[in-house]
Amino acid sequence: MHVRPQISSGGASGRSDAPEPPDRTRRDEPAPASGPASEPAGGPAAGAVPGPVTGPSTGPVPDTFDEDAPRVPHWFKTAVFYEVSVRGFADSNNDGYGDLRGLISKLDHLQWLGIDCLWLLPIYQSPLKDGGYDIADYTAILPDFGELGDFVELIEQAHARGIRVIADLVMNHTSDQHPWFQASRTDPDGPYGDFYVWNDDDEKYPDARIIFVDTEQSNWTYDPVRGQYYWHRFFSHQPDLNYDNPAVQDAMLENLRFWLDLGIDGFRLDAVPYLYAREGTNCENLPETHAYLKRVRAEVDRLYPDRVLLAEANQWPADVVEYFGDPVTGGDECHMAFHFPVMPRIFMAVRREQRYPISEIMAQTPKIPENCQWGIFLRNHDELTLEMVTDEERDYMYAEYAKDPRMKANIGIRRRLAPLLDNDRNQLELFTALLLSLPGSPVLYYGDEIGMGDNIWLGDRDAVRTPMQWTSDRNGGFSQCDPAQLYLPVIMDPIYGYQAVNVEAQADNPGSLLHWTRRMIEIRQRHPVFGVGSYVELSSSNPSVLAFTREITEDESPWGRMDTILCVSNLSRFPQPVELDMRRFEGYSPVECMGGVQFPAIGELPYLLTLPGHGFYWFQLNPPENADAERVR
Amino acid sequence: MTVLPPDAVLVRSIAQWLPRQRWFGGKDGRRIDGLSIGTATELRPGDPGLHHLVLDVTQDGVTDRYQVLLGVRRDLPGRLRHAEIDVVADGRDEPKARLYDAAFDPALTRTLLTDLADGATVGPLRFHRVPGARIRTDLSSLPITGEQSNTSLLFGDAHICKLFRRLSRGVNLDLEVNLALTRDGCARVPAVLGWFELDPGRDGGAEPVTLGLLSDYLHTGADGWSLAIASVRDWYAHTPAPGEDEWAELDASAAGGDFAAEAQRLGAATAEVHGALADAFGVETVPARDVRAMAARMNEELTATCRTVPELAPHAKALTAAFVELAALADPLSVQRVHGDYHLGQVLRTESGWTLLDFEGEPARSPDERRALAHPLRDVAGMLRSFEYAARFLIAKPGTVPPESGPRLETRAQAWAARNRAAFCRGYAAGGGPDPAAHAALLRAFEFEKAVYEVRYEARHRPAWLPVPLGSLAHLTV
Repeated sequence: MHVRPQISSGGASGRSDAPEPPDRTRRDEPAPASGPASEPAGGPAAGAVPGPVTGPSTGPVPDTFDEDAPRVPHWFKTAVFYEVSVRGFADSNNDGYGDLRGLISKLDHLQWLGIDCLWLLPIYQSPLKDGGYDIADYTAILPDFGELGDFVELIEQAHARGIRVIADLVMNHTSDQHPWFQASRTDPDGPYGDFYVWNDDDEKYPDARIIFVDTEQSNWTYDPVRGQYYWHRFFSHQPDLNYDNPAVQDAMLENLRFWLDLGIDGFRLDAVPYLYAREGTNCENLPETHAYLKRVRAEVDRLYPDRVLLAEANQWPADVVEYFGDPVTGGDECHMAFHFPVMPRIFMAVRREQRYPISEIMAQTPKIPENCQWGIFLRNHDELTLEMVTDEERDYMYAEYAKDPRMKANIGIRRRLAPLLDNDRNQLELFTALLLSLPGSPVLYYGDEIGMGDNIWLGDRDAVRTPMQWTSDRNGGFSQCDPAQLYLPVIMDPIYGYQAVNVEAQADNPGSLLHWTRRMIEIRQRHPVFGVGSYVELSSSNPSVLAFTREITEDESPWGRMDTILCVSNLSRFPQPVELDMRRFEGYSPVECMGGVQFPAIGELPYLLTLPGHGFYWFQLNPPENADAERVR
Repeated sequence: MTVLPPDAVLVRSIAQWLPRQRWFGGKDGRRIDGLSIGTATELRPGDPGLHHLVLDVTQDGVTDRYQVLLGVRRDLPGRLRHAEIDVVADGRDEPKARLYDAAFDPALTRTLLTDLADGATVGPLRFHRVPGARIRTDLSSLPITGEQSNTSLLFGDAHICKLFRRLSRGVNLDLEVNLALTRDGCARVPAVLGWFELDPGRDGGAEPVTLGLLSDYLHTGADGWSLAIASVRDWYAHTPAPGEDEWAELDASAAGGDFAAEAQRLGAATAEVHGALADAFGVETVPARDVRAMAARMNEELTATCRTVPELAPHAKALTAAFVELAALADPLSVQRVHGDYHLGQVLRTESGWTLLDFEGEPARSPDERRALAHPLRDVAGMLRSFEYAARFLIAKPGTVPPESGPRLETRAQAWAARNRAAFCRGYAAGGGPDPAAHAALLRAFEFEKAVYEVRYEARHRPAWLPVPLGSLAHLTV
């Protein structure tokens, strides 16, 4: 059984193998009356067991409907997210499709791995022309996945294990099968006549780009039933809702409340920049869109504490930062937003064997409001496309990617992490370590913890949505059905096939990628500074080595203790030396986080480290007082 | 309280220490005929105490001036023992005082920051802060070792102070250029925060002598040479796909560590700085007959070098042809201040792009020669030579690659250099500089002039490296 690590004393003991508190599992623990996670916001009470207010929880998720339950409003700042396709995770009724009950049966695995929050791809009733991002009924579960009761059960079971659950929600558009659209096209004067953006010609908003240039010629499509054109920023089967209509605004809030009332912990809001359209603009990031998001946020804050809104705005960080809202209030729109360029920049830095692709994007990333957090990822169910980053601010990435045929192919949406990195364990570890240590909350993609492969012969995004590989049994343990019945074939090639790569085999092997990933998550959880600390790049003599610290002072620290982690990564495939200027930490003792080995104390001269190809270190830097205490002891 | 010992004692101590310093220019076997204390200024009294010395050192009838920061302590802690100059009785016959190189003592160098921030005047020393510059005075220094003629003190990761060891008359070129570019708002050089100098009064109204220069330290930077070498190393280790002929002309863009996009951005940054230099110092035009004279000088150097380095002779015909082609250009040439000693080691990649460093010109030349105007493509030629060197560095450096792979790697070196030269020139033209493609004859002559110099230099100082410029010339003169 997985023992959830306690927050380390952040340098008080200076040993990463310091004795942990008595074993407590999240499952068995009663409501945490005094645990670290239960501290009220504002800092631990004097004399209480100190723990991070925003840190990882050590018990079940508090009942949000119990007004007396303690609040953990900033849990997302130190959380590790796990993106899962319900369809691809586990099949409980052997019909070939994954479902909610299947997911429930695998929660123990996710708890063992150390996941704090699940992000579910769309779970709603849908014709599935766009992976469920074409919603036909906002308040019904896709029958393939189960029913509402299963969803409530998932929330309860996950919460009991200390795992929160958020789900995708598309506010911008619906499926053309949605009853609202059907009513709108057939009854222009009825209550839904104005729910979508209709026009007599297709001339309006000419400055809005076409996002899916491969499939769409225009943002307008003619509807023969109503005899007008309707507006759509994505596929023509996804009409955009008309947010100028107050009834639409209210209806969408109603949808959000429906799920929040069922206990969901938040939403990943798909395609938020496009809610409104205005003549003479590119119809992205408009003030009206921000105003509506503020209204949504206010409603969540008013009725549903501890929930999170995660914006998907596939834009440059300087534009995305607007979606956090007003910095003076600490942020009054979305709690989180994805930082899209991080992933390609990591990829580029390792390919170029130099740190500047990462250094540069970190330098260009603006400060975000106090109560907000970036979400970062390596792979995703779909991906940044080049088309979305080509303007003058983005020429760097375009120049680098467009010139390199291999990069261009790899930025596409069809590869998983392991095949992208030629299944090179050293690189897999380096990339994961960067994901877990750069600023932001990391989002793992299901299957990447075991290094699953992809099937590029499947169309479009299905390449990376094949069934999760649990065992070496039939269908990789995903389902007992006839293999021909599976929604997608399980991966069967000799390198990535389920017989070689599966959870069961890796769980039995302490040297596996799965165990390694779990260990790294555990270290991250012990050091909430990874979630809330500052990012400071260090001066290093070797351009192939990226060195930075994550730091929090005693005063800034929500859990009242300073913590400093030094991360040093060799982006080159060759061994490299590096001399780090660490005079700021003179007298500190670096303790390596994986093994707890104490390295020589930092002096005034440059600190010399050598790293193997694609090697990395995480060190906890312990201030001199503690080091002295340790020596005495 | 520590007090400086009498001059005679001091001179004796320093005379035995000075020749061992890396930055001492007179190590070439010449005896020190005379050493005297030009100026001695107490910058910080007490223990430890800091004294600023300007020394007059005479060798073979020529007097050079050197700057020393002298620390005085009664007890020298272990960490400073390596910087000890001598142990002397102090001026009052009290217990011993220890003299040491204060550049290694952060407790003393901080005085420089305070004086710079205050714009202080201490004796003949005048400290200046650039208006509006914020100088932090709470930082500890770390001397950067390994420099030839200066000592740089790194203050925290915010400031860097370059101490000129051997002093030249007048305002230091690096200061002059950086100040002008900083005032112009050029973001491609590290901003100057302050400087200090020796009052000209002593020289009877001459220009002040620059002693030190404090500027922003770009702590995320790495020099262009290391980046280029990382790229070359990756390219040498590039494994061709199955079926691809390993010996075939290779496509350097296939390398993961491709440098071309960086080279292109570097070209644009270079053009930007050339534009700023033209704005700050003006542009002049030299008549065509001066260009002819320049071509003739280039050819004379070639002839002289062929005499001492016969390996160059096979290329002489092609080189002469390039110089003749330059002489045949009838157009006057516009000239301006340039970098003067431009190569990959003089540029720094930071998180916000490329920065140009060290505008002191070629160290071997006199201050007046270094200020001489030149066509900006002379810098471009310098950088092209640097690409040629970077491409072949790992082949030439003994022990870095197996010798038998040398000939094969030369093919790769050519592919790497060609790709990055082209990218640099593209960026330079796009950045507003004179288009290298439109001035091919001029650029070629500049590059060959530099290559002839390299051949001469390597033959004299590093014979093992001679194949680098020769290999490059063999390829470029085809």
